[in-house]
Amino acid sequence: MKLLLLFSIPLMAQVTPERLLKATAEPHNWLTYHGSYSSTHHSTLSQITRENIGNLELKWVAQMNSLEKFETTPIVVDGVMYLTEAPNNVIALDAATGREFWVYEHKLPDVTYPCCGRVNRGVAIHGDTLYLGTHDAKLIAIDTKTGQKRWEATVADYKKGYALAHAPLVIQDKVIAGTAGGELGIRGVLAAYDAKTGKEIWRFKTIPEPGEKGNETWGGDSWKYGGASIWLTGSYDPETNLTYWGTGNPGPDWNPAKRPGDNLYSDCVIALDASTGQLKWYFQFTPHDEWDWDAVQTPVLVDHEVNGRMRKLLLWANRNGFYYVFDRVTGEFLKGTPFVKQNWAIGLDERGRPIKAQGRGPSATGTVTYPGVQGGTNWFAPSYSPVTKLFYVNTWDDYSSTFFAWDQEYEQGKWYAAGGVKAEVQSASRDRLNRRNPKAGYGATRALNPVTGEKVWEFRTAEVSEAGILTTAANVLFTANREGYMIALDAANGKLLWKKYLGGMAASSPVTWEANGKQHVSIAIGHAMFAFALRD
Amino acid sequence: MVRVLFLVPLGLYAQHSDTSLVNPFQSPDDRARGAVFFRSQCASCHGADGKGSGQGPNLTLGTFRHANSDEGLFKVITKGVPGTTMPGFSMNGREIWQIAGFIRGLNLSRMAEQAKGNAAAGEALFQSQNCLACHWLKGAGASRGLSLASIGSRLSVGEMRTALLEPSADVAPEYWHWQGKLKTGETIKGQRLNEDTFSIQVLDSTGRLRGIDKSDLAEQSLERKSSMPSFQGRLTEAQIGDLVSYLTTLK
Repeated sequence: MKLLLLFSIPLMAQVTPERLLKATAEPHNWLTYHGSYSSTHHSTLSQITRENIGNLELKWVAQMNSLEKFETTPIVVDGVMYLTEAPNNVIALDAATGREFWVYEHKLPDVTYPCCGRVNRGVAIHGDTLYLGTHDAKLIAIDTKTGQKRWEATVADYKKGYALAHAPLVIQDKVIAGTAGGELGIRGVLAAYDAKTGKEIWRFKTIPEPGEKGNETWGGDSWKYGGASIWLTGSYDPETNLTYWGTGNPGPDWNPAKRPGDNLYSDCVIALDASTGQLKWYFQFTPHDEWDWDAVQTPVLVDHEVNGRMRKLLLWANRNGFYYVFDRVTGEFLKGTPFVKQNWAIGLDERGRPIKAQGRGPSATGTVTYPGVQGGTNWFAPSYSPVTKLFYVNTWDDYSSTFFAWDQEYEQGKWYAAGGVKAEVQSASRDRLNRRNPKAGYGATRALNPVTGEKVWEFRTAEVSEAGILTTAANVLFTANREGYMIALDAANGKLLWKKYLGGMAASSPVTWEANGKQHVSIAIGHAMFAFALRD
Repeated sequence: MVRVLFLVPLGLYAQHSDTSLVNPFQSPDDRARGAVFFRSQCASCHGADGKGSGQGPNLTLGTFRHANSDEGLFKVITKGVPGTTMPGFSMNGREIWQIAGFIRGLNLSRMAEQAKGNAAAGEALFQSQNCLACHWLKGAGASRGLSLASIGSRLSVGEMRTALLEPSADVAPEYWHWQGKLKTGETIKGQRLNEDTFSIQVLDSTGRLRGIDKSDLAEQSLERKSSMPSFQGRLTEAQIGDLVSYLTTLK
């Protein structure tokens, strides 16, 4: 560790593409939204152990000015933490003390079109430049030292319902970002820009135009307003130069009769050539989605043995309630199995396509379907530990929603869902007073066998969680929940090791890094960033 | 276009002490347009009936978390509510007023049914049935049940009838029966006010607020049942009507 630190000194302040490729070799930093290109949310730091975790204490709290939902997952670069605050501020602070160096404030138009709050999930870094996506659908480059803007690029027209909410992904000399707006009749875009100049290099449209393969999966003009948004950072495999992204629901969400067909490439994982943006393969989890089950989950890239042979895998716990395993080079479907209670599919066929149950789609009078609208899991990050060789995911289980459909025509800039949902489990916010019927469903942090999807252990919670999971080489698993707790579990068996009540909901991932040689763990909860380390 | 339509209502002020704007678009046609917009723009989260869902709050109660006046409703719909999932809506001023008018009407139509009994007879029943043994009203009574202050503005005639005849049919979760047994042997009964994975917050039957660590509990149960007795068979249909009439006067 010491050697690594010394070695990195001359490179400080310049996060080269080579450093991003080897991000896990710098465990004192957290260089990307997911911590590394493989998005395992795993760190080799091991100062905090199962034995000494009782000595974990609060080192600092950074209070935000914004009271909007706080979904940031920070990056930490050579002693500086960069985080975002709603709607579109970027803050640089001293990771050792929490004191601010600078704040960048992006001025938004009076009205923008977020589906679900003006959230932002974080930034990316290349050299000495940070990248921010905004609610007026811009990509902004910011100087890491001063917080001053270097350039901006317009990704799409925000007045048509487009917005950027996720942390961009830097690959080589490109910055990649995509557009949200799946409830506003957009047509999803993922685009790559020159990191130095902001010039667009390639653009992938998640819904093919007439004449392009896949357009035939949309009846009539429905492809024009079909959604398939991008709102979570993807992953990257440098060996194959493929970048993996999950796409959002087809629109309108709950009246599928408006869009006959499979609706490609909604609810898909898409594997694109990172240099050209060309589609190499795709897999659609929920063809002709009727429930708003975006495939917007973290693509977890893992090399693991399957039937005695090492395979390059892509692991995916999907919002639709099924856990999937793919060969990430070819896209071959290897395994799919439910990981929560579901009643919309009888099962998957040999190629992974769901065999839908009859009568589970939205209706005029309402249809009760499991899992509910927020799915078995959602956008919050899972983790894979190479130590335990287990896949960890926060799940919402044994809960349903009642899905309604009605007719509606598309109008620019207006909500285009053509239906509604009722559920006893709150979809995206914390009830200060949790008086929900415990029988309406529960949350659980689960460890799954990554190849079979079988449950190895679980830690149940009264409420559901929107927090990601972090695992470390010392077999400590950190996560949080809506109730306001940050918790640590034994990654081997799910036993509770430590908990701290922080009093607000968590809607981001815990990350770990070092300051002054000490391992820290930080998480955004409520409207503040909290950092913990062992007592001095 | 938007700006011009905005200018129209700016000149219209309410004729009472506050100076907030009143909705200038309240004709039956406006209401009908509002219903159409409500269905397409609001109902996904607030429910087709406006009674809320897991995503958005109930809009039929006549009071709103983030607005009190017509003008407040207008602002919430155009700007959204920061910190929640409520977005701002990009409609023109007239359309927003039409939605606001429709939302106001949700409460009026819910509360439209008039009680038909004798309120004075109802008040006498209220006393003789000893309602204040559990409920609080005008400086007297107890706090075990729902406070009846302004109950006439909060519950419709139908809802009051249900509460009297089938009190457990729609009992709010804070009135469900909770019972726990501590490992020490002590039994606690009361109302569950809040709960998480590790703890539960209760108002116990002795009137004490208690936070209990779940690891101290040997067992617990929660029953979706009201403590309120049913007046089915205890009062005649006419008497129920009288009691409801009295309750509707409590505004």
